[in-house]
Amino acid sequence: MNLETTASWDLFWSSWALFRDPLLVAAIAGTVLGYLGVFIVLRRMVFVAAALSQSAGCGVAFAFFAQIHWRVSATVAEPRVWSLLLTLLVAHALRGSFHRLITREGLLAVIYVMGAAGALMLGTRISQEAHDIQSILFGTGVMVSPADLRWVALTGLVIGTWQLWWRRGFLFASFDPQGARVRGLPVAMLDITLLMTVAVFVSVATHALGALPVFALSVAPALAAVVVSNSPLITSVLAATFGMIAAVGGYLWAFWGAFPVGASQTCLAGLTVLAALVWRTGCRWIRQVLRSEQDPALKYSA
Amino acid sequence: MRTEKIAATKPVWHADLLGVDDLVVGYRGAALLPPISMVVRPGERWVIVGRNGSGKSTFLKTILGLLAPVAGRVLKDPALRVAYLPQRHGLDSVVPFRAIDLVTEGLDRGWSFLMPRRAGYRARVRAALARTGVDAFAWARFDDLSEGQKQRVLLARALVGEPSVIFLDEPTSAMDLVAQQTTLDILDDLRLMQQTAVVMVTHHLSSALSNADKALFLDAEHGVVACGTVQQILADPTFEYHFGGLVDHHPSQCETGPLRVGSHADEP
Repeated sequence: MNLETTASWDLFWSSWALFRDPLLVAAIAGTVLGYLGVFIVLRRMVFVAAALSQSAGCGVAFAFFAQIHWRVSATVAEPRVWSLLLTLLVAHALRGSFHRLITREGLLAVIYVMGAAGALMLGTRISQEAHDIQSILFGTGVMVSPADLRWVALTGLVIGTWQLWWRRGFLFASFDPQGARVRGLPVAMLDITLLMTVAVFVSVATHALGALPVFALSVAPALAAVVVSNSPLITSVLAATFGMIAAVGGYLWAFWGAFPVGASQTCLAGLTVLAALVWRTGCRWIRQVLRSEQDPALKYSA
Repeated sequence: MRTEKIAATKPVWHADLLGVDDLVVGYRGAALLPPISMVVRPGERWVIVGRNGSGKSTFLKTILGLLAPVAGRVLKDPALRVAYLPQRHGLDSVVPFRAIDLVTEGLDRGWSFLMPRRAGYRARVRAALARTGVDAFAWARFDDLSEGQKQRVLLARALVGEPSVIFLDEPTSAMDLVAQQTTLDILDDLRLMQQTAVVMVTHHLSSALSNADKALFLDAEHGVVACGTVQQILADPTFEYHFGGLVDHHPSQCETGPLRVGSHADEP
């Protein structure tokens, strides 16, 4: 067992050049998605992340389809651009007036299933890129391109900086929109900006990691952080940290266990929630035990 | 005729904080009450009274910009600093906000969230918490507090922003008698020391009317709005019909008759 582990470490370090970029992408995407996840959870728009990531996957599949069957140049049918366009379109639709005709969760469900079904249907018509489609939907890809790393790093830096700068406004408008409106905060602007930044990063991260892990990383680490933390600042820091651990740890887990990368990252993200619940329950139990051990007679005898 | 009325009620900035000009409140374009005109000046104590469902909260939310008016307009001093204490907080308990986090949030106004907070803001937050008597719970999760404690934390959040006018929608409804009196004392101190105008919706008629300078009586059922001094409101027939036996004041003590702003239906 030890020999096998040593061999795996040796293999890992000897192939470091190969693994460096995917790990960097996982670390950046996990951190930013974990941080954004706090707002996704706080605004109870968990399935918005699912609908956005599936739409991004469908956009990528459509770009490949257009390149192969309609002979559209790769510059025009650039997968990242189509992924971004479709995600922004969905984000815009979610802010629109459809809620008067259909419930929000109903609209989300339709977008989610259409995105997933669209990507799968297009995937059957582009057999040359079938592996890429699988990677986009489920995150089975082990490698990432240098372009993916550049895009994730650049958007991660811009959106991360923007989020930190506007953090107080986003938090106020998310936690107490009515109070924020009374105090003159630009709530509509904050809502649009938050949704668009989530949409853009989900789109870019989906191209690099896949829809399933992106959905998991944008929800589960934030949920875990909410369970164990005691303040908004600590929640954000923990969510970003858990996101990074789940993304990088999932990649390493996939390497040693020969699992699909996206599934490992998703599973590890889910485990952070489980661990947080166990931790919180354990802490509560210990507190109760300590309290019950304080014998009233002893307490007052002093 | 209309021009004269607007000119008469149009607030004079630097002296007036907020004016309501023929404001019609309601939902989806349907008027709930007749048009209302009033002017809130620095240091004034206003009380808004009426039965359940009389349109008090709707009127307050319309002034605050949370509901669109059916007609008319709300005029505000550009430098107006508004604070609002809602009847029931709609704060989500998903993210663990502590009392101190919530009060600190009260420092933000407009686009100020883009700038670093001013030096000494922690002391202001501490002072607001101490003033409302919740400094002992500063680090407790907001969700773990009792309803009365939550209302005091929200009052601290309203105070920390040094408002020029504070709107309160039944602020003492979940408080015990001591906390109620403390809250009223705090509001009175604020009014005297900082010239903050206080506009309060309440069901505690006797204490509210004896502590107020002016009152607005709303009755959506009979389509009646009366606005004026407390004495004028006490003399209003509709008010007398509904609340006459419930307040310590007697209408005969009033010096002048009621200032009736509007009526939709026959008076009782």
